[in-house]
Amino acid sequence: MSFLLKCPNCGERSVYEFRFGGELRRRPQPEAHFEDFLQYALYKRNIAGAQWEWWCHRGGCGEWFKAHRNTLTNEVLETLLPQDEAQSG
Amino acid sequence: MDQILFQWNGNTVHARPGDTVASALYRAGVRTFTYSYQHGRPRGLFCLTGSCPNCMVTIDGVPNMRSCTVPARSGLSVLSQNLNVHRGLDVPAAKRFPPAPPLAESEHHYEHTYLHFDVVVVGGGPSGLKAVLESVSESPGMRVALLEKELALSGPEELAHQVHAHPQIEVFLSCSCFGVYEGNLLGAVQAGYGRPNAENLLHLRARRIIWATGAYETQYLFANNDLPGVMLSTAVSRMIHRHGLVPGRRAVLVGELERCAALVTDLEAAGVHIVASVGVDSVVSARGSEHVTALVTKDGTHRVDLVVICGPLLPDLGLIRSAGKQAIAVVGAAAGEGITSRRYPLPPSAQARDAIACLCMDVSGHDVTQAVESGITHVELIKRVTKLGKSTCQGRMCQTAAIHLCSRITGETVAEVGATVSRPPAPPVTLGVLAGMRHHPVRRTPMHDQHDRLGATWMDMGDWKRPRYYVSPPQDCIEQEYRAVRERAGIIDVSTLGKIEVKGPDAGRLLDLVFTHKFSTLPVGRTRYSVLCDELGTIVDDGTISRMEEQRYFVTTTTTNVDFVHQWLEWWAAAAGWSVTITNLTAGLASMNLAGPHSREVLQKLTNCDLSTTAFPYMDWRHALVADVPATMMRIGFVGEMGWEIVVPAEYGSYLWEQLLRAGSGVDIRPFGVEAQRVLRLEKKHIIVGVDTDALSNPYEAGMGWVAKLDKPDFIGRAALTRLKRNPLERLLVGFELEGNAIPADGSPVLVDGRPVGWATSVRYSWEKQKGIGMAWVTPSEATQGTRITLRCDSIDYPADVVEGVFYDPAGDRLKM
Repeated sequence: MSFLLKCPNCGERSVYEFRFGGELRRRPQPEAHFEDFLQYALYKRNIAGAQWEWWCHRGGCGEWFKAHRNTLTNEVLETLLPQDEAQSG
Repeated sequence: MDQILFQWNGNTVHARPGDTVASALYRAGVRTFTYSYQHGRPRGLFCLTGSCPNCMVTIDGVPNMRSCTVPARSGLSVLSQNLNVHRGLDVPAAKRFPPAPPLAESEHHYEHTYLHFDVVVVGGGPSGLKAVLESVSESPGMRVALLEKELALSGPEELAHQVHAHPQIEVFLSCSCFGVYEGNLLGAVQAGYGRPNAENLLHLRARRIIWATGAYETQYLFANNDLPGVMLSTAVSRMIHRHGLVPGRRAVLVGELERCAALVTDLEAAGVHIVASVGVDSVVSARGSEHVTALVTKDGTHRVDLVVICGPLLPDLGLIRSAGKQAIAVVGAAAGEGITSRRYPLPPSAQARDAIACLCMDVSGHDVTQAVESGITHVELIKRVTKLGKSTCQGRMCQTAAIHLCSRITGETVAEVGATVSRPPAPPVTLGVLAGMRHHPVRRTPMHDQHDRLGATWMDMGDWKRPRYYVSPPQDCIEQEYRAVRERAGIIDVSTLGKIEVKGPDAGRLLDLVFTHKFSTLPVGRTRYSVLCDELGTIVDDGTISRMEEQRYFVTTTTTNVDFVHQWLEWWAAAAGWSVTITNLTAGLASMNLAGPHSREVLQKLTNCDLSTTAFPYMDWRHALVADVPATMMRIGFVGEMGWEIVVPAEYGSYLWEQLLRAGSGVDIRPFGVEAQRVLRLEKKHIIVGVDTDALSNPYEAGMGWVAKLDKPDFIGRAALTRLKRNPLERLLVGFELEGNAIPADGSPVLVDGRPVGWATSVRYSWEKQKGIGMAWVTPSEATQGTRITLRCDSIDYPADVVEGVFYDPAGDRLKM
């Protein structure tokens, strides 16, 4: 793992500066069943291909942002601030 | 001329300037440099280019150094390796090398450097130099690096001059690239960085990589091909031209003779008698015990002391194969330029037990044959089964032999047999250089120097230094610190605790979501303890939250978790899209906890703020001047006594600390350290997250179910905690009292009737109870008052009884005095 990741604030940096936050997922509504929370907390999709993920620029501006990354090639297709909407996938 | 003297297996060896350790030893008459790893076969100089394992020795305690790459210098201690294996002793692999010297005594120095270039060229030969100069000519802004593993560039002198003089080119000599990683990252080690025993690990990022590593010569497979005296033509050529050595007296040449025509002239000029030149097919075996004495061929036996292998040249592409999809251009001999022959003849003895294919791991032609005959016909699988190609040279010397041998046995083409992937690090690197400099960041609180003057014994907590206890006075200091807090007043530096400000319209909402308590309804002026759980209901951290203003909160965290909590808060705010600003204030603030029955009168001397319980009740906070310093005082009580946590700007920390000690001199106030604090809080059964809880503990089993406010519509972990509350508990954190005064270690297992039921998390002597107390995880059937449990530590049993209540002041009256 030594690919470059583009922080929406700071630009392209070594992945060592970042903290991985896992797949981007929607948290169940508060009234949802316990099983939904279990599913949310434990069962990841683990996609072999492009997926949206959380990353935090821990060693830089500290921003949490969304990255569209190919898990097979580590190619980062797009990164977005949390409030921005994706153009693709 | 200065004399260079170093030690070789206890004997002194003279070296000349320009010598490597290998060339100096050879000049001194050393022929057997070391013994092979697996079978202890004698090994001598073989490639002299750092491509093979045969000259690996231990230098100044660092094993597996290729002596042909290490410049000779005075004072080195050089040892051959695996002598015990050679003598037939069965030595476990872990004991083959001398033990590493203690870090403090190591004279080796390691650094890391991070660099960015437009282009990095690996290899300073003719094509590398050409590539560097072409790259810089593309534009005046181009920054180009050239890595050369040797001590000097080896291309045409005119080009080398241009490269050295060019302002856009940075040349790194004695610099071996050991890996190419994704994102065009190159790892390289620069030897002799600044001083002889220093190494520098370069992390090089490049937009483009140009691979100009050239080609290396590999060996042929025949019986005893690894005997000292059998060597590659590159080694012979370097001996003559670089080191002025005479490689032998009588030589026979084997292999690609047309490529080595110049070498024949060189050998003759050096006074070596060439007995014969033979084709590989006609070789039967090399003969000799410690050194070659003859080469046996089909046409007769040649009595020689030097067998020159004119082996095939192979493009040096190993690392590129493992690099994946990087922007790498290959040029020169590495791209196959000038390599005419792809032949690899195998003589009949290639399948013998003494024909060593893998010099690193002693895998013979016989071993490869057995593997192939058992059905393993891809070289990657041969590698896994036989260990061939898995070691330091990563297949340079063995891979071609194995592929051709497999192809001959199976009849498959060379392409079908495949090729192995060399894996970084190749060449090998020291663990020291990967670890880097021997230093660790240290954080000191604003009151650090005062603690030092007061005689603090330090402990590490994350990066922080904290006083464990104050050894002055030396006798019973922990007890005295404890008694000061319980009977009079004590003061502890808590500046290391995380301090985070959460501010904005959605601050209350965010804290409601991430903590188990409700904070949007907390009145301004109040403080509340809470825990932070993850979505599975596991306790992640704890701390206090104070409401400073309608839209501003002050959050404390445990010392080592502040970055995590900060990121956790940021994350949930980002995910929800809420308007909130989160700032880590830890380094900007000093905080100290003043506690004890006389703490009020001590603090009142320094402030006009009314500290009476009616005006300033437990779990309230106030802004006020304390000794003229703007301070935030929070009335909280981790140690179980009336007390205030006083937070001031870091600049005032040491001043206020002095003022408090002075104000408390009348009641004999004492600074107390972490050790006394741990006893004080244990008597109150206040948990320390990460000490008394682990990565699975939830509030119910920790006996803190009251923290989970399930009537809140939502918070992280609520769904799990709702379920956990309904389910029967699997274990419980309970208190216990030991029978005697002996204290077993934290972490001791807990037994009932000899059966393990859990473990103790904290055990200390309690001056309140006059005996040992502690907390332990046990199964629910043991979690009742009076249950007899046994702690076991170092084979000694410590009987104890479970205690349900708190050990000290169960009603909490002393907090609210």
